[in-house]
Amino acid sequence: MQLKKQNQPTVCAGSVAKTLALASCALLGVPALAADAPADQWQVDGTVLLYSETDRVSAVEPVIKASRTFKNESKLDLKLTVDSLTGNSHNGATTLDAPQTFTSPSGKDVYQVDAGDVPLDDSFKDTRVAVSAQYSWLLNRNLRATSGLNFSNEYDFFSVGANAGLSWDLNQKNTTLSFLLGLESDTIEPVGGVPDPLTLQSDNLRLDSSESRTVTDALLGWTQVMNRRWIMQLNYNLSAASGYMTDPYKVVTLIDPVTGLPLEAESLGGTDIGAGDGQVYELRPDSRTKHALYWENRYSRENDDVIAVGYRFMTDDWGITSHTLDLKYRWQLENGWFVQPHVRYYSQSEADFWYESLSEVDYNAIVASNDYASGDYRLGKLTDTTVGVKFGRDLANGRKWDARLEFMQQSGDTDAADVSAVIGQVGYRFYW
Amino acid sequence: MAGETRLSRTREGWIGRFEAMASPCEVQLRDVSRVLAQHVTDLVAAEAWRVEQRFSRYRDDNIIARVRDANGVWVEVDDEFERLLDYATSCWQLSEGRFDITSGVLRRAWRFDGSDRVPSAAQVAELLPLIGWGKVQREPGRMQMPAGMEIDLGGVGKEYAVDRALLLARQHTSADLLINFGGDLTASAQKPWQVGIENLRHDGVAGQISLSQGAVATSGDTRRFLLRDGKRYSHILDPVSGWPVEGGPHSITVAAARCTEAGMLATLALLRGKDAEAFLQAQNVRYWCLWN
Repeated sequence: MQLKKQNQPTVCAGSVAKTLALASCALLGVPALAADAPADQWQVDGTVLLYSETDRVSAVEPVIKASRTFKNESKLDLKLTVDSLTGNSHNGATTLDAPQTFTSPSGKDVYQVDAGDVPLDDSFKDTRVAVSAQYSWLLNRNLRATSGLNFSNEYDFFSVGANAGLSWDLNQKNTTLSFLLGLESDTIEPVGGVPDPLTLQSDNLRLDSSESRTVTDALLGWTQVMNRRWIMQLNYNLSAASGYMTDPYKVVTLIDPVTGLPLEAESLGGTDIGAGDGQVYELRPDSRTKHALYWENRYSRENDDVIAVGYRFMTDDWGITSHTLDLKYRWQLENGWFVQPHVRYYSQSEADFWYESLSEVDYNAIVASNDYASGDYRLGKLTDTTVGVKFGRDLANGRKWDARLEFMQQSGDTDAADVSAVIGQVGYRFYW
Repeated sequence: MAGETRLSRTREGWIGRFEAMASPCEVQLRDVSRVLAQHVTDLVAAEAWRVEQRFSRYRDDNIIARVRDANGVWVEVDDEFERLLDYATSCWQLSEGRFDITSGVLRRAWRFDGSDRVPSAAQVAELLPLIGWGKVQREPGRMQMPAGMEIDLGGVGKEYAVDRALLLARQHTSADLLINFGGDLTASAQKPWQVGIENLRHDGVAGQISLSQGAVATSGDTRRFLLRDGKRYSHILDPVSGWPVEGGPHSITVAAARCTEAGMLATLALLRGKDAEAFLQAQNVRYWCLWN
């Protein structure tokens, strides 16, 4: 133990206080400075997400969030998201042992997919910019109100939403009940106009230039401190959408059920644009009601490790039922480091109107009875498994960084549903 | 060591009171039931008494006594004491040797009782060989100190107890809390507590701070000093010379995230004498200095 040399110039400003803060955290066995979020400053979180599906879509999504708590305990959250997607997107058609021919989203160009290949549209490219602002304030010591606005814009889509809610602390803040109501209005302007549903893609029949839908969400939440280590949360979400829910860029393949080969548009009285062009634009119902229940438990162990177990159940009037199980374990290591393995399992049943492909008889019956049809694998039976790890470190003055790497494997009843993806994300928090 | 706790009603909740570390101690809570207030008060008091029992230099049945009486032999130390020693080491390094938990032996010469009994230079010089944290050897789980030396955690213990008490109380309630052990205090609350910064010598209030998260601690000699031939001798002793630090403020109060930091910043500032305020300014902390 060496005594430092006397007359050493006094170290830089505030450094004694900073070193003491670290030393006292070590003394008390609390995470170093993690809790010392500076007051009266903006908390800024920047993240960049990279998502890459093998041979399919890639996305880059930078997000900047800024939040500030004011002296009167009101809080403002601002968020800017930019999403940039490129790559090959499944166009809804089934994979067959024969070549198929499609038109591009605008209907102006024609492309072919070889026998045995998953039909993908390679013109998929989109940039989304979304901004949101949320403000919450205390009505009294136990009642907090919140209200927010959000906008999202893509070249063929515009969305505006607003929400308002209340959260009520009870039972010495061991119980929080919350209620949130959200309204969203979307405008969809498909490239080349809105396709006439259930007509042959090769005929390129278009209706209006745009469609719209509204979505109403109601959220009921119950958060309960069960004991000093265990927090439980139960949320119920009712979502009712009405309007245009169809994907204007997706088709359903018409096949001969005996040979399994695609039908030709010309044999159905349509325009011939190539081999295997018996593809009809999909159609989904113009309303959808979803009920979702989410249950989460967080348990902090004696050594500050955290176990989080979440389960989500969703059911809707399209016939889809899904289950999500999410497990995380956060290892709190020395010097503010943490490592958090993550496993997620998701499974869903198919929508009532999902068809891998349609025979001419089925197709005629659907049209005659004003029914619906879609071949989008996202409405079919699916199972996803995601495994990954997140790690990072809490730094001085409330700053922190983290990085996440995950692998997702999806499978379903069709080749189109078989997707694997790598997800990478880095994040940094600072105060300004 | 266990004493008793007393609970009374306040306008916003409850206040629990007890005595520990020769100081009046209190816990204030808002919006909780009587049962929870009593429970939290009991927990906080038990922690204060535990820390006092374990680290008081006035006992002969604790680690402080075992180290003092070891006569130069290695002594086993537990995790908590090791962490306190690590902390004291950091403070010793940060202060370039001016904060030293082995300097308590100077009390044998210096008795700050308000009298004029200033020791002779020889009396003080005789004690200097028994001071110096650099003379202590440490290994994981044990330590060794030359015979005659002793450890005094008086400059850390009370603030440590305050921080520990808050951590414990937090595990049992999320209600608004203020824990105050004889003027060293910490808060954890949604609605800030108004804390008066006492001016002990003039019996008035030197300032006020609105505290929702964080701590305030005071270090000073307002009640402990010697006066001889019109010269006031502060109880802040420089372990290098063995004599009181001159020309500094009489007491300093500092606000920081935790009580241990606040108390140590105040102590380190006092050890710098006339440069106390310059030091505090450089640390960018809120402080109150009492010069006269």
